[in-house]
Amino acid sequence: MLRVDGLSLAYDQHIPVLEGASLAVEAGHFVSLVGPSGSGKSSLLRAIMGLQQPLAGTIETALAPHEIGILFQDDALLPWRTAVENVALGLRLHGTGRARAIEAATGWLARLGLAGFGDRFPRALSGGQRKRVALAQVLALQPRLLLMDEPFASLDAIVRARVTQQLVSLVEAQGTTVLLVTHDLEEAIALSDRVYLLSHGPRAHISQCYEVAIARPRDVVRARTDPAFAPLLEKLWHDLSHEVASEGETASA
Amino acid sequence: MKALLDRVWLRQLAALIIAVALWEGAGRAGWLNPLYAPEPSAVARALIELFRGGTIWPHLEATFAAALAGLILGLVVGTLLGVAAAMVPLIAEILEPVMLLLNAVPRVVLAPLFVIWLGIDLGSKIAVAFIMVAVLIFFTVFTGIKQVDRRLVERVITLGGGRGALLREVYLPSVVAWIMGNLKVAVGFAFTGAVVGEFVAASRGLGYLLSFAQSTYNAALMLALVLLIMGFVLLLFALAGRLERRLLRWRD
Repeated sequence: MLRVDGLSLAYDQHIPVLEGASLAVEAGHFVSLVGPSGSGKSSLLRAIMGLQQPLAGTIETALAPHEIGILFQDDALLPWRTAVENVALGLRLHGTGRARAIEAATGWLARLGLAGFGDRFPRALSGGQRKRVALAQVLALQPRLLLMDEPFASLDAIVRARVTQQLVSLVEAQGTTVLLVTHDLEEAIALSDRVYLLSHGPRAHISQCYEVAIARPRDVVRARTDPAFAPLLEKLWHDLSHEVASEGETASA
Repeated sequence: MKALLDRVWLRQLAALIIAVALWEGAGRAGWLNPLYAPEPSAVARALIELFRGGTIWPHLEATFAAALAGLILGLVVGTLLGVAAAMVPLIAEILEPVMLLLNAVPRVVLAPLFVIWLGIDLGSKIAVAFIMVAVLIFFTVFTGIKQVDRRLVERVITLGGGRGALLREVYLPSVVAWIMGNLKVAVGFAFTGAVVGEFVAASRGLGYLLSFAQSTYNAALMLALVLLIMGFVLLLFALAGRLERRLLRWRD
């Protein structure tokens, strides 16, 4: 579905971020990317989306641009469009008529527990509701590959658990492939089939890859009590601490 | 009584009535020179006289026509220039210093020049109102487009939108929001321009009447005209406010 090979990226084309990063995401899998801050996780997603030009390396997807959806950390809903119009926006941009787009958008809002909120402007929605509208906006295009950049970081724990569960159930049902960037190791394990660890930046690369052997469909809260969860978290935490520690050494060297 | 005075506007109204009453009382007691500070009842009489004789209508019409024409022209030209400067760097390089200069001086200083160029008729008044508004709107639109929310732009692009979609979904609503935010200021500017233009040289208009009242030492008429202009500008503010609330529904 997605193959990244030897990818190098830079901020403003001259401050190195990522160097020789390689990863693969198979169709229907949920893959997470974790790593120290500044390791270029977000830049990697932007590069896949074509928003940033790589210095070297290749990004291969067998997908048309409209089959890839992306959800950023800070939701950017159009403030002058209602919730349902925001969700319908992607469909309309792809040529769906207004009435049909609104109808489909209403359905997506309902699926995310926002039935009856369609006529509200973003200002009149809570942070969690806005996030779900942004999610519905991306899911409405039924992307085959969904990229997410710490989408739920700003939500409180309970809302976050609810929204992630809704997301996981929907992508499991649709067979959507997901690449999630997060700094939350527990979230990465609970949601994913595979977790990639980025080394510390600058010039970060993929340093580890972990397979998550927890059955699907998943309950994102119960997944944390699965026997496979604790040992993997322990290992990930150990490896990440190592990355952060070695960053300190390079900085002082 | 106590409950009544809990409302802010009631307290403000009460203060106004007391101030006017004190003024009136001081005038009748002979403490104020009516030549400089005529009492409120004299101002009210002057105001009524203006309407009763029907003399005010051609003047009101002239001022309104100049202010509205200048306002509309200023909005259109200011927006077009602002958009052009934001899109084409060369235009920005040429226009920005000119606009900065025009923004730095009180633009009403151009009024005598416009009278020489365009004569004492409506044209020179429209020109003053226009230049007042156009510079304001130029900066509103120009800086607004440069500060448009990048996240919205990226969102529309990643949802598959092209240039047309960006213009329609992001830039146009942003520009409308900025202009609406400055519409009341623009209305005030347009009236300032029209009245000052008439003040300089005219044969009609509220500014001309003011100038006439000044030359005849008629303070009551001057105060009546000031009240009249305030009233009409407030009326236009209310209309602009309604338009703003309607177009910026999403903000409430």
